[in-house]
Amino acid sequence: MNMSFREKSIWISLIATLLIFGDYFLNVISLGVLPADAAKTAALGLSLRALFLIVIVEIIFQGMLAVSNRKAAELGADERDKLFEYKGNNFGYTVLVIGVFITLGRIVFLEINPEFIEQTNGLTIPLLTAHILLFSFILSEVVRFSAQLYYYRRCD
Amino acid sequence: MATLPIKNKIRELRFFAEEMTQQELAELVGVTRQTIMAIEKCKYSPTLEVAFKIAEVFGQSIDEVFQYQSA
Repeated sequence: MNMSFREKSIWISLIATLLIFGDYFLNVISLGVLPADAAKTAALGLSLRALFLIVIVEIIFQGMLAVSNRKAAELGADERDKLFEYKGNNFGYTVLVIGVFITLGRIVFLEINPEFIEQTNGLTIPLLTAHILLFSFILSEVVRFSAQLYYYRRCD
Repeated sequence: MATLPIKNKIRELRFFAEEMTQQELAELVGVTRQTIMAIEKCKYSPTLEVAFKIAEVFGQSIDEVFQYQSA
């Protein structure tokens, strides 16, 4: 497979995001069995771990890629890379906006119907509003990377 | 992916420029080798700036290197 430096870099980001935040969300869902306060503390710990891991993994693997492709890394993004980045950003932004509106809608709905909170105790994800937003952000990143890779593969 | 309507003679021009490689052309133009490859295969239409740079490398005018072929 003939991949440019930028395409390899996007593959690293996509795989790291899927593995680290996939594991994070699976763990957060399983926290529902804990008491509320303990679940919130555990969720914060998991989120810090995920953030730390994504930063470390990106630094290590992107660094290794840049060292092994020094010339390409110095060249930076060319016009084709920028075009695909722009197209990918459009898709990612759309997903993020949908997630933000879902979160806003939920906040407004619960403000108007506070009794609904007690009725939905079956869904026990700690810091649910924050997690809907975080999930939207991660999903938008996955869509952004995937769209870019789609354009690279289509154009290869 | 279907090829784009802008055709080019880059492969031919590289051959007559002492079999210049895609990498050499990419470095002269300031893009990646993959971008040159995509342009050559008519799967990506370059900006005017890159099109002019490619033409300049081969000492040709832009319309001698790129041709628009309407369907």
